[in-house]
Amino acid sequence: MPHWEDSEIIKGFRVQGKQEKAFNELVLKYQERLYWQIRKIVLDHDDADDVLQNTMVKVWKSLANFRSESELYTWLYRIATNEALSFLKQKKKKSFAPWMDVEEQMADRLEADPWFEGDEIQLKLQEAILKLPDKQRVVFNMKYFDQVKYEDMSKILGTSVGALKASYHHAVKKIESMLKDD
Amino acid sequence: MKMDRKQSYLQQDSLKSNPFGLPEGYFDSFPERLQQRIREEESSRVAVRRIGTTTRWLAAAAAVLATALITTSIIRLTNSDRGTDSRYPDMAILEQLQVFDDDRYLYDLIEDNDAVNLNEDDAFASQAIEYLAVNDVEMDLIFE
Repeated sequence: MPHWEDSEIIKGFRVQGKQEKAFNELVLKYQERLYWQIRKIVLDHDDADDVLQNTMVKVWKSLANFRSESELYTWLYRIATNEALSFLKQKKKKSFAPWMDVEEQMADRLEADPWFEGDEIQLKLQEAILKLPDKQRVVFNMKYFDQVKYEDMSKILGTSVGALKASYHHAVKKIESMLKDD
Repeated sequence: MKMDRKQSYLQQDSLKSNPFGLPEGYFDSFPERLQQRIREEESSRVAVRRIGTTTRWLAAAAAVLATALITTSIIRLTNSDRGTDSRYPDMAILEQLQVFDDDRYLYDLIEDNDAVNLNEDDAFASQAIEYLAVNDVEMDLIFE
């Protein structure tokens, strides 16, 4: 069954009595893409599930005020990315082992995670990505794994195309050097 | 050679594949779980709103009453903590001090007069004794 067009979803959400149906269509259309965007930032499945729920609750609360100036999917990606990054910030604040970086803790958890199915090189790559600054990590994930165009990334992250290209270039260099050192 | 191989790490297609797994049927059950959470949040928000509208005046009255009670009890407490002197109004304290001053003045006056009298008596007595002694009058006879 084909998904609704974005414009149909937005219009439907503004009609009394059709809100739930329209929102459900939005969830069905975008849940998977947003989940993977979030999962690559927070890595753990349960954390990704929490963040996806928070993202969708925010979308439910503010979709009525959504202005069609930006495209729906860039708006959704922006909310999901911000939610994932703030989740990590909260995690850093509430860390039970403050002497240890949250990134280190995340890497340790990833090794023991039953939902991580990658091989040794993929694990090393994820550990290297974890060492990047937050924004660089997001840019690297979007470009390397999802091949998102810089123009779209620029709309989602609110950063210029030039800055994104530079960010990706730096990220690739750092990761390659980290992999070489291992 | 080894470096070239390592430099091309990120160009390996196998690295680009998704290494993460998911519980089975996760995306099938997610919309229902999400709807459940939204329903819960909405119902708790409605409950909060209802409480807010029906009890607004009662809450305001209770707040005023509580403020009044607390203020009066604080005033009472602070008053009972003071000493007895502090309960007198300022004028009463001044009058009290004046009385004390008057008393003290009178006492000093009496004390001074006595001192003068006593000195005169003593002087008179010593003069008399001296006179009797000079004129060979027996002291025993005088005291008798």
